Amino acid sequence: MEPLLQVRNLHTYFFAKGGTVKAVNGVSFDLMPGERLAIVGESGSGKSAMAMSLIRLIAFPGRVVEGSVRFDGRELLDMTESELNTVRGRDIGTVFQDPMSSLNPVMRIGDQLIAPLRKHMRLSVKEAERRAVELLRQVGIPAAEERLKAFPFELSGGMRQRVMIALAIACRPKLIIADEPTTALDVTIQAQIVELLKSLSQDTGSAMLFITHDLGLVARFAQKVAVMYAGRIVEMGDVTQIFHSPKHPYTQCLLRTIPSIEGDRRRRLLQIEGFPPDMRKPIRGCAFRDRCPAAEPQCAMEAPELVKRAEGHVAACWLDEGLASLPIGRDWLAGEAEEAEAGAGLEMAPASSAAGGAGTVAAASGGDAPVLAIRGLGKTFLKRGGPPWRRRETKIRAVRSVDLSLRPGEAIGIVGESGCGKSTLARMLLGLEEPTGGDIARSGEVQIVFQDPYDSFNPKMRIADIIAEPLDVRGIGSPAERRLKVRELIQKVGLDPIFLDRYPSQLSGGQRQRVGIARALALDPKVVVADEPTSALDVSVRAQIINLLSDLKEKSGVSFIFISHDLSTVRHISDTIAVMYLGEIVEYGNAEEVFREPAHPYTAALLDAVPVPDPVKEEARKFKPLGGELPSPANPPAGCAFCTRCPLASDRCRSEKPPLREIAAGGRKAACHEIA
Amino acid sequence: MKGAFDSASAGKVTAGLGRVRVQLPFVRAMGGNKKIWVALAILGPILLLVLAAPFLSLPPPLETDVRSSLEPPSLKHPFGTDKLGRDVLSRTLAGFKVSLVVGFSVALISLVFGITFGTLAGFLGRRVDQTIMAVNDLFLAFPSLLLAIGLVAIIGAGTVPVILAIALADVPRFIRLQRSLAFGLRSRAFIDAARTVQASKWWIMRRHVIPNTIAPLLVAASIAAANAILIEASLSFLGLGITPPAPSLGNIIRDGQIYLQEAWWISGLPGFVILLVAISLHFLSDGIREALDPKARK
Repeated sequence: MEPLLQVRNLHTYFFAKGGTVKAVNGVSFDLMPGERLAIVGESGSGKSAMAMSLIRLIAFPGRVVEGSVRFDGRELLDMTESELNTVRGRDIGTVFQDPMSSLNPVMRIGDQLIAPLRKHMRLSVKEAERRAVELLRQVGIPAAEERLKAFPFELSGGMRQRVMIALAIACRPKLIIADEPTTALDVTIQAQIVELLKSLSQDTGSAMLFITHDLGLVARFAQKVAVMYAGRIVEMGDVTQIFHSPKHPYTQCLLRTIPSIEGDRRRRLLQIEGFPPDMRKPIRGCAFRDRCPAAEPQCAMEAPELVKRAEGHVAACWLDEGLASLPIGRDWLAGEAEEAEAGAGLEMAPASSAAGGAGTVAAASGGDAPVLAIRGLGKTFLKRGGPPWRRRETKIRAVRSVDLSLRPGEAIGIVGESGCGKSTLARMLLGLEEPTGGDIARSGEVQIVFQDPYDSFNPKMRIADIIAEPLDVRGIGSPAERRLKVRELIQKVGLDPIFLDRYPSQLSGGQRQRVGIARALALDPKVVVADEPTSALDVSVRAQIINLLSDLKEKSGVSFIFISHDLSTVRHISDTIAVMYLGEIVEYGNAEEVFREPAHPYTAALLDAVPVPDPVKEEARKFKPLGGELPSPANPPAGCAFCTRCPLASDRCRSEKPPLREIAAGGRKAACHEIA
Repeated sequence: MKGAFDSASAGKVTAGLGRVRVQLPFVRAMGGNKKIWVALAILGPILLLVLAAPFLSLPPPLETDVRSSLEPPSLKHPFGTDKLGRDVLSRTLAGFKVSLVVGFSVALISLVFGITFGTLAGFLGRRVDQTIMAVNDLFLAFPSLLLAIGLVAIIGAGTVPVILAIALADVPRFIRLQRSLAFGLRSRAFIDAARTVQASKWWIMRRHVIPNTIAPLLVAASIAAANAILIEASLSFLGLGITPPAPSLGNIIRDGQIYLQEAWWISGLPGFVILLVAISLHFLSDGIREALDPKARK
């Protein structure tokens, strides 16, 4: 069979002012009709630039400088812009990461769908409308006829992404390019979208190019995988080959850096040291060698080519088995070298609480007085609308009534979809939002590590001043003492004091997040709230931050509250889990127990939605993604809040609200009528 | 470690204004901007002339010499003379000095009031915002030139009234601008970070809000300075600005107006200077804006 897409030696450079960024450096691959290929890589690996080069959607100052892209027997790189436009609209569909910015905000959904149908399929208005409704149904949008008249802002993120997919498949393309299509979405919605893409590709026979940094999704979705690093494909093969017998050290490392929701919890995640190379500088030899534990002199001299390892499996490494070829690499993979290094390299402050160092589970069940206790905490936002003579007040109960207590050294993970109230809860704990009900008893400072490391620092301040700010505000210590403390803090988070003189814009995402942690620790807090601390980071850096946080938790006795929708991360760092749904805790208990045997159907659905980075297990799971979306907190369902999406819902659930009750010994609680 | 640190720190309160640091990339971008260089190439020589005026062998701007009335440009009088035989170049340079004082003062007053009230309104919000903006909108409702004319008509002509009159029209615009910038910063995570350590509102405004709004405000100030120079010239031309015999670009042009047919240089040459200055100041503000806005940089 002829390949649908044949890419050969593709080079794309960005001619920026500060130097030429060689984003794509010779990528070649084939894609067969109907095949699902995932391109995996971290930010800066050139995966998006590569995909956009295929359809020549590279923005100035980028340009495809060399190579060939043959699609369906025609060379795309030689086509005129108008020829290419018919290919882009009709034969190749695209889905981007952010559906809000890819849809025209002032055009109705229907008009956006009908235009390409009329242009490329030459349908009449009536036919196009009928087809548009059909398409919206196909991508799982309820009440499709009404949705045609809606504007993008009237739809939720998941619905908008479905509309984007409908647009992409509108003209029955032979190829769909999806660039991080689920990154902006919640886990349950993410699972729905991935299932949808997969079934569409099976039903319509479209080939798919799926670009992502999430290895779990790859295992769930793809048939073939290409791993990109520094603008090149370093390994490519069947999904099982990549996950079960990876040959390139980078792939081998990546697979071990991700926390899993399954199996035993590793104490420390493997982390890849260092950062990807600067793409403005010429790369001699293998681009990964600086971060590779098994690098040899040869790696610095010459870049290895992609060499066949098995049928359909190629990897670019001098060693046959990657890291596993050498004893040092095997040790590293086993995590022994890592443990030793962690013990010697990270100097921790002496534990200020008795709980530090002692097993965290013991700390959780010990009799220490809580450092934080909240009772019946609630927050209702009032939204006023309507004309002045007929004021309408909508009550939005973001947090309804939450009880929690946190012991010294305990880490609690709060999970739930966006809109479940977890961030509002955090803001109340920090004093950023006044509660409208209940009370909070704090026994010390509560500090925060923010989600977005790009927004959490004043861009006009030096790192030293940023970390010192809490001390400056409180007037703690003399200037000299403060400087000393700042140096101590930055070393505590594993950064060189040389960074103190820099500005936030000069730091990478991971480095910034470390600075954020240093700032949070400046006042010796009793509790640190981490609001999605790793969701803006790349996979390899994410592991570094998770390890740092777990070290701090164990060695300094600080209590942590982790807020996240990423269940695998939460599981890795937390002792206790609280699952929130629509402003309430629906399940609470020991982290291991909750993950092993989720009691509440919502918890079970959340866990099901998280992809496991193992294609065989994924295949065997046969899960059903949770349908529907989070109801509006302004108009919650009567009875159990989850009853609209729950597979177990009975009449009682729809009328009577289940209380949070103890369902097993050890403080395990859940709010559900249907479980024993 | 913790205990020692706490006891050493007890009771000390730090002061010190938040320093506004200009970051290197900004300076570099300014240096690389062509428009800024064009503006400086025009403004520089004019400024040099103004500063060097006392040392040139020019007659003082107010010295009359009826024997050399309405002389065309020559080596002795490069811009010619007016009806009273005063040297037009000397008067133009003196008038330009007034223009600079007016432009600079207006920009400074607008910045100070704009930043103060704009920050308060935008950052504190609610009552403070409503009050400040109600007064502000009242002023904004008047056309600026009319407001200036009215004010000068009430408090009389002269440099200070002209400055006040022009600033009165500019300040509300600056307050609006600063308010919207401060408002946008309010929900940023770094402001939340400062709030979680219980930094006072005053601290946050000083250290976080103002340093992050200063760049666009400076752009606005450079535009305001250019406009102030033009408005001062217009007011003086109408006889509402700087009172003769004190020279100002506007009243020199007005004086020469009636001799336009026999002595074009009296109005023409100072007019040309205004043109050059206005063009270069707009180039300058455009250049600064481009240098500050990373998106406009190519």
